[in-house]
Amino acid sequence: MMSLPFLIFLHLFLVLAALAASEARDMLSAVIALSVFGILLAIVFALLQAPDVALTQAVVNSGLVTSLFLVAYSQTRKRPPRGPSRKDEDSL
Amino acid sequence: MTFTSSRLIHRIPALLLSLGIGFFLWRGLVLPSFPHLGSTAAHYVTHTASETGASNVVAAILFDYRAFDSLGEATVIYTTVCGVALLFAGRRYRSSRRGLSFVVKRGMALMVPFILLYASTIVLMGHLTPGGGFQGGVILATITVLFCIVYGSRFEAAQINPNKKEMAESFAGLFFVGLGLVGLLGGAGFLANLRAGFPGGTPGELLSAGTIPFLNIAVGLKVGASLSTLFYSMIKILEAPSEGPPPEVFSS
Repeated sequence: MMSLPFLIFLHLFLVLAALAASEARDMLSAVIALSVFGILLAIVFALLQAPDVALTQAVVNSGLVTSLFLVAYSQTRKRPPRGPSRKDEDSL
Repeated sequence: MTFTSSRLIHRIPALLLSLGIGFFLWRGLVLPSFPHLGSTAAHYVTHTASETGASNVVAAILFDYRAFDSLGEATVIYTTVCGVALLFAGRRYRSSRRGLSFVVKRGMALMVPFILLYASTIVLMGHLTPGGGFQGGVILATITVLFCIVYGSRFEAAQINPNKKEMAESFAGLFFVGLGLVGLLGGAGFLANLRAGFPGGTPGELLSAGTIPFLNIAVGLKVGASLSTLFYSMIKILEAPSEGPPPEVFSS
């Protein structure tokens, strides 16, 4: 059986990576955080005796989803970086 | 000031939600040391080897007990790729022939056969070890990703003809349905495996489990071809910088 502290460590970093992916201002950091999340999730699946799901998760998330997101990221136009004033968000 | 407080109000419930879900997942998945199998799961675990001849229970469920669901998933992927390929069709896009540096190209050329070997191992041993058609197909599609990035998409289109990819996808889907119809002819129902008279073999050997290896190959070809088409269609428009979504997309 797997050591419990390692699983707790993995779950903590899963939560952290998910928060980073959802809260990141930069789109590129969000994509990379999502990739890290996928790999950690694949490790958790492998430890929980689900190698099929782990393989799918690792391959799809690290190989395909990240590259598709990166293509979509470089295809779209970027907004200019926001200055210190946040007037546009307050007006919403 | 109002900005930071409203962000905190959004952030604290999200944090609590994530922690709560994580706690319950951890409690439900990690703590019970004696897994209790329900009646269906117990049936799968005890009867898979005799009923399907496969030693990988997941592959047996995916391609024997619930093969019709797999056909539905394959149809979903097929429809998606048809839509994307239709959306991005057209000859006005340029393809790049530049690629990365010489060192990266040579290193990539050394790696491609091993990636192919790995993908075909996962597809062909799907009924024995973890893996199967879907995973192997995605690994096949990563070759396209690497080709497009390292060599440029013109090389990719020259090496693997996009029309041939679509042909492979369609024929793999037809092969899947055809194997299912053979089961129907055998008098045991659509996509029936051993009951339709396919040889089961010895569980654990490469040639065993009736139709499952063939369905794995079909799904592997299909998923590899369709995801490769998906990525190629998307990267085709990347290399024409004048083309892009209309500016009103960003005004919201």
